This record gives sequence, structure tokens and C-alpha cells, in this order.
Amino acid sequence: MRDFFPFIIAGLVTGSVYGLAATGLVLSYQTSGIFNFGHGAIAAVGAYLFFQLRQEWGVPWPIAGVVVLVIAGLVIGYVFERLARGLEGTSTAARVVATVGVLIAIQGLLTATYGPAARDSRTFLPTHVFSIGGVNVGLDQVIVFLVALGATAALTQYLRLTATGSAMRAVVDDSQLLDLAGTNPTRVRRTSWAIGSAFAALSGVLLAPAIGLDPLLLTLLVIQAFGAAAIGRFSSLPLTFGGGLVVGLIASLSTKYVSQYQVLSGFPAAVPFIVLFVVLVFARRGWLAELGTSAARKVGRRPHASRRARIVGVVSLIAVVAAAPFFAGPRLPVYSTALVFVLVFASLRLLVVTSGQVSLCHATFAAVGATTFAHLAGGAGLPWLLALLLAGLLAVPVGAVVAVPAIRLSGLFLALATFGFGILVERLVFPMAIMFGKGGQVTAPRPDLGVFDTNTPKGFYYVAVVIVILGLAGIHAANRSRLGRLLRGMADSPVALATLGTSVNITRVIVFCLSAFFAAVAGALFASFSGTVGGVSFPSFLSLTLVVVLAIAGGGELLAPVVAAVALQIVPSYVRNATFNDYLPVLFGVSAVAVAVLSNPRLDVDARLRALGTRVHWRDRTSRIAVRARAVGAEGRP
Amino acid sequence: MLALSHVDAGYGETTVLRDVSLVVPVGSVVSLLGPNGAGKTTVLRVASGVLHPASGRLLLDGDDVTGVAPHQLVARGVCHIPEGRGIFRSLTVRENLLTQAPSTPPADALARAVEAFPILGERLSQTAGTLSGGQQQMLALARAYTTDARVVLLDEVSMGLAPLVVDEIFSFVERLAAAGRSLLLVEQYVTRALAISDFVYLLNKGRMAFAGEPGELDEEAVFQGYVGASV
Repeated sequence: MRDFFPFIIAGLVTGSVYGLAATGLVLSYQTSGIFNFGHGAIAAVGAYLFFQLRQEWGVPWPIAGVVVLVIAGLVIGYVFERLARGLEGTSTAARVVATVGVLIAIQGLLTATYGPAARDSRTFLPTHVFSIGGVNVGLDQVIVFLVALGATAALTQYLRLTATGSAMRAVVDDSQLLDLAGTNPTRVRRTSWAIGSAFAALSGVLLAPAIGLDPLLLTLLVIQAFGAAAIGRFSSLPLTFGGGLVVGLIASLSTKYVSQYQVLSGFPAAVPFIVLFVVLVFARRGWLAELGTSAARKVGRRPHASRRARIVGVVSLIAVVAAAPFFAGPRLPVYSTALVFVLVFASLRLLVVTSGQVSLCHATFAAVGATTFAHLAGGAGLPWLLALLLAGLLAVPVGAVVAVPAIRLSGLFLALATFGFGILVERLVFPMAIMFGKGGQVTAPRPDLGVFDTNTPKGFYYVAVVIVILGLAGIHAANRSRLGRLLRGMADSPVALATLGTSVNITRVIVFCLSAFFAAVAGALFASFSGTVGGVSFPSFLSLTLVVVLAIAGGGELLAPVVAAVALQIVPSYVRNATFNDYLPVLFGVSAVAVAVLSNPRLDVDARLRALGTRVHWRDRTSRIAVRARAVGAEGRP
Repeated sequence: MLALSHVDAGYGETTVLRDVSLVVPVGSVVSLLGPNGAGKTTVLRVASGVLHPASGRLLLDGDDVTGVAPHQLVARGVCHIPEGRGIFRSLTVRENLLTQAPSTPPADALARAVEAFPILGERLSQTAGTLSGGQQQMLALARAYTTDARVVLLDEVSMGLAPLVVDEIFSFVERLAAAGRSLLLVEQYVTRALAISDFVYLLNKGRMAFAGEPGELDEEAVFQGYVGASV
């Protein structure tokens, strides 16, 4: 029994920090209805700011700590409250994209400023070790635990006993009524965002000495709070804190066991995401209620290109793509990668745009395709094309697994479940032999087409062109078919679709399977092109970037994936300026936030654009109508 | 005095009110009648600042307060009890009463609420969502009394309640009027509302169809107004 104590203590300490972060997350989610995927990024900002103040500028740590908390609370909290207000009334997809955009922007900013390598964060708490019943406990561990517990307990009491606390709970019930009762709901929300952000920053400061300063790691560590928040039903603060402790304990205790099994080495790190996924998938219906009114999709009149214009567009696009080897020069491999990403984006678009389901594990599908292809074509020696197809088909069951939460959950919780799934596969399954194995890499062959040499960049480029065009044609066919109409109908109103006698569930499963298939084919193509491929090519973080970049690429069926792939792959290779490329993720993130906020129907941007469009593009048509109306004696409307 | 002057208002691209003007003189009781969908609730929403008019003005004591936020109008003495149960369901009765009257000292707010509705005094620690419908409405109405509101807007406060409770609600409304508060009533009990009103407005399809004193309004016209025929 004594063997367990050190693990229990370690688990309680990290668990209490998860609980602290999760409590802040739940508080801001409850009062504003905006679930902040960027919560972890605030923690990272807090940790770096603390590092900057204390280690770079030599500020004593207590002062640095206070400064960090004040800045996180007042400045970051204020910014998030403004963002949340801008997102009020937008679709769930827009909200997810916006806060994921913040995550990517902040993470990019930290990486650009401090470099991707982890910095050493000196401990600042006393590390004096004492013994409780024969078990060594660090004083810093005790302090961290007590600070986290104390902050959460203080918050709970604050909500119960103070007027602002009552108002914070009241704003959850009915914010308009609170306004009518004479309390400014915006001020109340700002307070709760301030507290939530300060909690996130505090958890970052407390975690940093244990894990070092790494922008990605810190961000993801606090995302572990999502699992704790799920246990608290995204609503109860004490249960959320308890959930943090549970997650910390399971993760810590499991390290003791899995050390004996190499294959499970990723388990402890995956625990929070397993908890998140399991809670979301097995929660009773109605147990989780999504907050905030989700707007119906805006249907604006878009200026439709004529059929001829579209054909001209597609043909000229194909011409440019086909001619790429003649102008790309040494950058041709970048174009091949971009082609792969066109297919990845097109398959993601099928899910996110056509069927309206936000999936945050798309890179996982591609990774599954890549390894399956490598095992089949490289290991088992199957013919290239057959292996490519099988790689796609074997990803279909994976898509079906992800579709299970899609059947039960909608909107935000689906996004969370897929996000959890992506990370748990990355941590748990990627290192296993069936995927990338212990070495973290697998090798894959290029196709053997006889006289046509596919080993040159140009040769493979044309292989990629053919496969990607076939894939896009398949997705286009799916879009145009009955299934495509059902998917668009489902995005508008699942209920209406059900009343028409269609099984919404089966439609959901099919679209996930289809999307997984094409993403896996793209992944397989990438594997074949790269020769060796590893998990680093498809990190779970890439899934977030994909969704964000697709969101800013516009709505065109063909154009959006192409624009997204160009922005993600080709632009960075042409811009020589290293600073620009460092800040590119920041640009993506900020643009995604802007796109999401501008999609707010309350802004009525469409009407303004429409007015502009009428003036600019449709002037001749309206004037023609006016002339005709005058001719028949009707009043021409201005 | 609260006044709407030539107000057009609506939701999104739908216009609900067209050129509506209405005055609630100091210390008087005004009834706003009209069939379902006439825009009565929208008038109250404009009057309390929840909805800002597309054109026209909202005036309070002669000052233009168009576009002012609801909580700021509350500070200037406007109290709007919305349709349905205007309470915070997950808060206790005590927390509700205190949240409702942020600028009244807590002890005062509780004492006045209990004075108005003694039953609330027995339920202070109960979660508001678990009260009966009548008690919930009393809790919502208490705000009109615990704050120093000068203009009180009541939207169908007797809706869906038992007759005995309706009596209690009406006697509370009369007490508010007697205390010199200006009232704007939207009521389904038309005769009872008219009995305590100094002035009456009839709204139909978003336009004012009649404005005057209750005596000038014959019952037939009211009935026709309610069944939706044009008056």
C-alpha cells in the first residue's frame, strides 16, 4: 500500500491544478455560454509572463505572481468578454472556430516570441521535503494543492455569499432579466471572465516548474481540464474540482502500472481525454445541456457564378495545377503536399460545412490512412493502388467510432468529444505497433508505373494530381447526390430531416465514414510521397489548425480547400521572411476569430455586403429592370 | 413621465410597431389593450430599453433616453416585470430579492418584500424555481415595491394563475397605484384593468387604434379589438 502513496500525492497535486483550471473554464462557460478552447492558452500566457518577469527581469516572485494574475484577470478577461459578446447569437461552429482561433493565435505568438524549445522554469516555491507517515512530501506540493483548493473553495463561497456572486448565477438563468433588474450583465460577465482567466493563468504558473515552459505542452496540459469539466457536467464547480482530482489520480496511479507494459506507455497522458471522451459518449441524454442560443445558418443570396464561369474556373485551375512543375522549380514537393491538403480540406469541408458538424480530429483520420498504407504497401507488399484504397476503407470504421458521439451529441460537445478522441489516439495508439510503432516512423513506397518514373518530384506530383482530382470528384459527387442534399438539410434542421423519414443517425455515421475515407486516402498519399512518415506529421494540434484555416478560406466547394491548402502550405514556402512565417499561425487564429465574429447574424454583414454587391456588380441588372418596369408602366423601385 | 414618441420597432427585418406614441403620466395608471400579436409586449420592451426603436424616441421625464441600456433605465426608476415568471430559478428567494433590488439596502429589500407578500418571508431559503406559480409571480412582482421604481411596466402578470392569486396580485397593483407609482398595464383581465385605469390605449397590428379614457371606450370596440377586427 505504501508504494502507492507517492503516486497518490503526485496525482492529487496535479489533479488540483487541473481542477483549478477547469473551475475557471466552467465559470466563464456558464456565465457567457462560450466554451473557451483557448483556456489552456491563457495558462501558457500566464506561465510565460511569470517567467519573463521573474527570470528575465528579476522581479521577486510574489510581485510577479500578482502582476500575472492582475493582467490575466483584467486584460485577458476583458478581451474574452468582448469576444464572447461578439459571438453571442452565432452558430456553435463559429464559436468553436473563434476560441480555437484564439488558442492557435496565442500559441503561435508564444512560439514566435520564445521559440518552440522548452525553457527552463525555475521553481519558486520552497522545495523543502518532509515526511508524512514515511512518505516524502515536498512543501511546494502541499502549497500548490492548498492554493488550488483554496482558490476553488473561495470562488464557490463567493458565488454563494456575495451580491456579485448571486448576479453571476442569475446571469446564467436569465441575463436579460438581470439587466431589467438593474444589474449590468456585461459587468457581471466581465467579472466572471476575469476570475476564469486568472484561474487559468494561476494554473499555468503552478504547472510550469513541474513540466517546463513549452507553449504547446502548457496549452495542452490545461486542456486536460476539459476532462475534469466533463465530470462536473460543465456546470458544477465542486464536482469539476473533484473531477480534476480524479483525473490526476487515475493518470498518476496508472503510471505505476503501465511502466511494466511498453505498449501502454501513452496511457497516463491520455487519461484526461479518455475521461472526456467516455463521459461525453456515455452520458445520459439530457445530462449535458449546451448553453447559448445557437443561430440557424444564415442563408444569404450569394452571387452565383454562371455554369460557364464555373467550368472556365475549374479548367483554368486544373491548367495551373498541371503547369506547376514548370514554374515551381525546387518548390515542387511543396505543391505535392499542398495537393494532399486540398483533399484533406475537401473531406473536412464535407463534415464541417456541408453537414454542419465540427470535428476536431481530422488529422487522426489522415494519420490512420498514412500508417495503414505504409503497413499494407510497405510491410505486406500489396499493390500501391490497392493499398491506397484499403487505407481509405480501413479508416471508415474509425470514422464510425467518432460518429458514435455524433449520434448522441451535437455542436459543442461533439467538437469536444472529437478533440478528446484525436488526442487520445495520438497519445495511446500512435506509439503502438499497429500505427507508427516504437520508432515513431513507418516507411511507405511510391507507386511503380513502369516507364513513368514516380521517384522524381515531377513524377510523383502528377500521381498526386490524378489521385486528388479523383478524390475531389468523389466528394463532389457525394455533395451533388441525395446524400449531399440530406447533409445540407441536416445542417439546417436535423428535426425537419427526421420528420421527412430519414434516419439522421445513419446520415451522420455515413458522413463521418465518408470524410474519414477521403482524409485517410490523403494521408496515405502523403505517406507514399514522404517515404517515411511519423506521428509528428499528424499531431492532434493539426486538426485544430485545419478547422481554423478552412473557416477563413471561405465557402466555395472547390475554392475553399484550394485556398486553405495554398495558405497553409504554399504561402510559407514563398515568403522568405522568417518573422512572417513565425507569425502565420497568429494570422490564421486572428482571422478565424474575425470570420466567426463577422458571421454573427446580429451584425448583418451580409446585408451590407449585399448592398455593396448590388451597387457594384448588379448595377446593370437592376437598371435594366428599372427600365423595363418603366416601359410597362410600373413604378421602378429605387 | 414616460413617453414613446413615433416609435417604429421590430426584430431583425420584421417591423412590429409602426408610429406608436404613448404617454404614461406621473402617478397615473395606463392600460394597454390589444389582441394577440398586436405588439403590446414589444411596447413594454421598448419602454424598458430591452429593445431599441428603429426610429422614434423614448422619453423619461422629458429626457431623451432612446438607446439607453435597461439597467441604466432601472437606475432612473423604470421597472419592467416581463411576461412569464420573471425570476432567477436557480437562486433562492432571498438571493432573488437582493439581486432584484441592487441599490436598496438588503434588510430594507427583504422587509418590504415580506410586507407586500408575507408568504415570501416563509420561503426565503427556498430555491425560487421550486415555488408555486403564484409565489413565483409574487417574487417577480416584489421588485416593483422593493425598488424605488417610479414607472412600473407589468406584462400579463396575472397570466396562468388561480383566481385567488389573481385577486392578491390585483390588490398589490392597486396598492402600487395608491403609492403614487405610474403604471403601464398589459392585462388579459380587461375589465379589471380598466376599472383601475386612468387612461387606456388600444393597439392593433402594431398601430395605435385608440387612446383615451376608459369611459370613452365601449366594450364592443374592445371586444372587436381583441378578436382582431379593425376598430
